[in-house]
Amino acid sequence: MAYSDKVLDHYQNPRNVGSLDKNDPNVGTGVVGAPECGDVMKLQIKVDDDGRILDAKFKTYGCGSAIASSSLATEWLKGASVEAAAQIKNTQIVEELSLPPVKIHCSVLAEDAIKAAIDDWRQKRAARQQVGEGAKS
Amino acid sequence: MIHVPAPDPFAVFGLQRSIDLDERTLEQRYLKLSRECHPDLHRQKETGDCIAVLQRAAEINDAWKILRDPWQRARALLELLSPGALERNKKLDPMFLADALELAEEVAFASVENVPQLRTRLSGAVASDMQTLRAQLARGDVDAAARTLHASHYHRKALQDLDAKS
Repeated sequence: MAYSDKVLDHYQNPRNVGSLDKNDPNVGTGVVGAPECGDVMKLQIKVDDDGRILDAKFKTYGCGSAIASSSLATEWLKGASVEAAAQIKNTQIVEELSLPPVKIHCSVLAEDAIKAAIDDWRQKRAARQQVGEGAKS
Repeated sequence: MIHVPAPDPFAVFGLQRSIDLDERTLEQRYLKLSRECHPDLHRQKETGDCIAVLQRAAEINDAWKILRDPWQRARALLELLSPGALERNKKLDPMFLADALELAEEVAFASVENVPQLRTRLSGAVASDMQTLRAQLARGDVDAAARTLHASHYHRKALQDLDAKS
């Protein structure tokens, strides 16, 4: 199967590979997997107080399309608001990377990873606010 | 020739559905079944019969490929016991996945002297997965078995990658 030029570019020069401190209260971490192919994807975002994504990192163990999907996702996430990030759809990734039908699940994995990272960050923030309110009363 | 894989490899072999199959019995059964539909035995038959014999031979070969491998056997058994169990248990625990990612990195960056130790560890994990899987299938816990089967894929893949390195 031939990969598109964009997939190859992300595969050969993946953007934003690495990790953020998962214990940082401003960092949201999402880890998702596709057990049928044995793929696993970790995506992290660092968010400022205004809900803007300052940094995004990923680590993916899987095929070229899975790596390219998560690499592209981090590019889109950086500088975006959390609200906008939550709207990213796998179909946009499919379109941008020209993924063939058999690789669509890779883009779904990337969307799931984004959502999981946002959820994690939101949960941390909610827990912090509760603690904050508890301290006030 | 196009043929649809037989849905129940256990039935093809005339065996009870079980994860625990004796390998010797299985192989003997395979050889016996294969002999029965050897083309040389069926030369005199009509064309229609020949096709049926070929079809049967293909079924036997497909079933053999599945049954001889404990992981594929477990997978087939699970799909027969509870169709869709694998599909509905695809979401694995993020903590497990994070460990799987670390393991994959360890394999990717393992130095030559670390390979044997890592191989022992991974083989141990795969063996332990199979033990867990057998126990879960034995007590009919199909959902837990499906999750174990999915999780073990990461361990088996890591082991394969490690073998490909050396």
